[in-house]
Amino acid sequence: MANSRSELGTIIRGVARDPLGLSGLIIVGMIVLSALLASWITPYDPVAINIKDRMQGPSLTHLLGTDQLGRDTFSRVIMGGQVALKVALPAVFGAMAIGLTLGMLAGYGPKWLDNFLILIFDTIRSFPTVMFALAVVALVGPSLQTVVFVVMATSIPTYGRVARTQTLTLRNSEFILAERSMGASMARILGVHMLPNIIGVLAVLAAMDIPTVIALEAGLSFLGLGVKPPTPSWGALLKDGYALIRQTPWLVVGGGLPIIFATLGFTFLGESLRDVIDPKLRKNR
Amino acid sequence: MTETLLEIDNLSVVYETSRGDLKALRDITFDIRRGEIVGIVGESGCGKSTLISSILRLTAPNMRFRNGEVRFKGDNLLMASNRQMRDLRGSDISIVFQDPMQTHNPVISIGQQMVDIQHRSSASVREKRARAAKMLGFVGIPDPEARLNQFPHEFSGGMRQRIAIAMALMSEPDLLIADEPTTALDATLEVQIIERLQELQREMHCAILFISHHLGVIAELCDRVVVMYAGAVVESGDVREIFHNPKHPYTRRLIECDPGHFKERARVLPTIPGEVPDLADLPGGCIFRDRCDRAMPRCASDVPPLETLKEGHRAACWLNHEEVPA
Amino acid sequence: MLKYAVKRFALAALILFVAVTAMFLMIRAVPGDPVQIMLGPRATPELQAALTAKLALDQPIWKQLLIFYGNMLQGDLGIDVFSERPVTEIVFQQLPHTLQLIFAAILWSALLGIGLGAYAAAHPNTLIDRFAAALSVSFVAAPAFVVALLSLLVFAVQLKWFPAIGVGEGLGDKLYHLVLPAFAIGLSWVGYIARLVRASMLEVMGENHIRTARAFGLSENRIVMVYALRIAILPVVTVIGVGIGFLLSAAVFAEIVFARPGLGKLVIDSITTRNYPIVMGSVLVSTALFVVSTAIADLVNAWLDPRARDSV
Repeated sequence: MANSRSELGTIIRGVARDPLGLSGLIIVGMIVLSALLASWITPYDPVAINIKDRMQGPSLTHLLGTDQLGRDTFSRVIMGGQVALKVALPAVFGAMAIGLTLGMLAGYGPKWLDNFLILIFDTIRSFPTVMFALAVVALVGPSLQTVVFVVMATSIPTYGRVARTQTLTLRNSEFILAERSMGASMARILGVHMLPNIIGVLAVLAAMDIPTVIALEAGLSFLGLGVKPPTPSWGALLKDGYALIRQTPWLVVGGGLPIIFATLGFTFLGESLRDVIDPKLRKNR
Repeated sequence: MTETLLEIDNLSVVYETSRGDLKALRDITFDIRRGEIVGIVGESGCGKSTLISSILRLTAPNMRFRNGEVRFKGDNLLMASNRQMRDLRGSDISIVFQDPMQTHNPVISIGQQMVDIQHRSSASVREKRARAAKMLGFVGIPDPEARLNQFPHEFSGGMRQRIAIAMALMSEPDLLIADEPTTALDATLEVQIIERLQELQREMHCAILFISHHLGVIAELCDRVVVMYAGAVVESGDVREIFHNPKHPYTRRLIECDPGHFKERARVLPTIPGEVPDLADLPGGCIFRDRCDRAMPRCASDVPPLETLKEGHRAACWLNHEEVPA
Repeated sequence: MLKYAVKRFALAALILFVAVTAMFLMIRAVPGDPVQIMLGPRATPELQAALTAKLALDQPIWKQLLIFYGNMLQGDLGIDVFSERPVTEIVFQQLPHTLQLIFAAILWSALLGIGLGAYAAAHPNTLIDRFAAALSVSFVAAPAFVVALLSLLVFAVQLKWFPAIGVGEGLGDKLYHLVLPAFAIGLSWVGYIARLVRASMLEVMGENHIRTARAFGLSENRIVMVYALRIAILPVVTVIGVGIGFLLSAAVFAEIVFARPGLGKLVIDSITTRNYPIVMGSVLVSTALFVVSTAIADLVNAWLDPRARDSV
């Protein structure tokens, strides 16, 4: 069994050597760091209302200006990063865990289970994502948990199908056949042997998925159907900015740019990870 | 005296790589006359592919012509424009490639492809299709008119190779290049294809440059043969003369190691020991020296020239100079 | 080909069937009395009873399901509680606006994307190729609705080059109003399609059958445009089919941002008024649209690539 810690080190070094991967690492690192330290580094309280300072443009005291309730935009942007990750990370890891399990079951288990799970995957995928999210929100009401749930549910098929394909491929490989002939149980085979091989591919998927998830949360918040105010989400910033777009355009910029940065960062990271983990795909870059 | 169709004259070709120049072809000289079948024998890496690319001028970006000429009907092809080369390809010079499974476009019907390659003709599409069907019939494809609408994956490997031959001969070329056309097929198919090729050649009188490492086929099909090793011609001449009386150690070893040659059962199959030299880092002297069982001191220092020993029989080996002291 | 078409549409029908069932069960799974939720606190008992009967909520679940399927197959998606008009009518009235937007976005992004990708493949590793590659990655990164908002801010509000809201009257004006929204939702696709086509073309151009085509003296034009592109484009066809689903989602945002009528606006408005029949109807129609478009994409793929006809 490969030493996973040194393998992780090799992967990270490989990513860092690629300029695109390095920028991705830096951007993601910055976002994660600011999200972790958000409560300490925001210059103002992100939810503190201060009517007399409302709708001011960017200045030295308020780097990105203030919104219609006098809240400091910059602070809200930083806190928004924390909110974004609070939604994205559980959703993605949850989807990955569930998708991985279902996918391995589909690939390794009996044919009827496979057919059934594929049908489920394809059905979920046949709903246009936002429409599905809107339908759920309509029924259950907007909240952070709803967003996490919806985002997770729509992502499961992605991981599921990839895990299934990998499992199917590995199923007939020699070392798996050897294990089976020695009587290893399905749980052992799946957990100890298949898993490490599949995780790499899924990690790449996750990195590429996080931006989608962040965008979905922001989108729902923008529509007023995501996290509830006054929680600062990048999408909520966009919502406030849009409502008064002529008077407070900086809100739109403040909400939009972080999303673009986050998306770029995670996408670069994901692409670089993919090139490192599977050099075969490199030729089509 | 039949006129010369293709003359390769001192052709030297290299590939520019980060490790330096890969000297893929060095002073290659031989010729093909009209209606003649010339075979090229050699193992992988001997330069056959580079030779074909040079004749057709379908070159890789890092290929460089360092020396020599490729004369077709008297004109040096290396000096020809892209337009002129394009006019030759598929009309005066045709080629059948080695791998029948990948040689046709998978999403266009066979009929359409055979019509496309007649793009120089001013005949109507119907006439072109009729001609295509006729050619398919010549190579032994049953029910050709119907099969024109089918796609490559609906044909077996052997049939695809026949289609490739049909396509190559459709324009009645002066020269057909056959690059190991039967290597990817099993023995029975090989026999059928070779026989068909012989029939067609007798009818059309085209010259054939037949590349193979299957000595039996070469002996059966070709009039003359050129033996290549690691980018150089080591022996050439009449096919019967070469096989009965090889004048180069490499040729001799090839014949001895050929399975078709064995007169008695052997417990251990004979091989030629050693490996093909690195083309970017050539040893001095004779190219075959390292693997030759009769190498002399002179072989390490001087490159033996390709010289005519008898009428039409040439070889590049110092052993043929035995009587002359170094 | 026909056999494949039948099989493919059968699969689409199956998926749609499962999706509709899932949708139906989701609605019924919500805690609380749907009638009360829909009508709100102002509901009189008579109104509640009437609606309960209309939605057949007093019947056992499986019967409701059957009634639902029956209605659906007849094109009846229910009645809008507030306007008393059939949901089908309301939804299909808004659908064309969304379709126009999606179509415009696909058209420009596919054309530009294929052109860029083919050009990059024909001139690999030049400055333009690398520049286009960097641009592609960046474009793919920005989510559609963020691009929509930013382009609204820059091109409509600040620069005033394009109108900020509405659909416009008359063909020319309508096209003028389409530019920004179609640009916004198509932008990420240009990059994606360009990279796909480039990778695909490079792979195809390296294959042996292209060498054969050259060996027979076919013109480079014909080789690239017909022999290579026909194969290289196949992944794009599938991608566009899947893209319709993505574009539907993006169109929702574009309609809100640019205040355009369409399915998106309909759904959002209906959510706020808790008008469930409309929400469900819209979701069902958009899902059906997506399922059909992927099926059509697969059919086009099979038409272009005969090798695909043997698999479903």
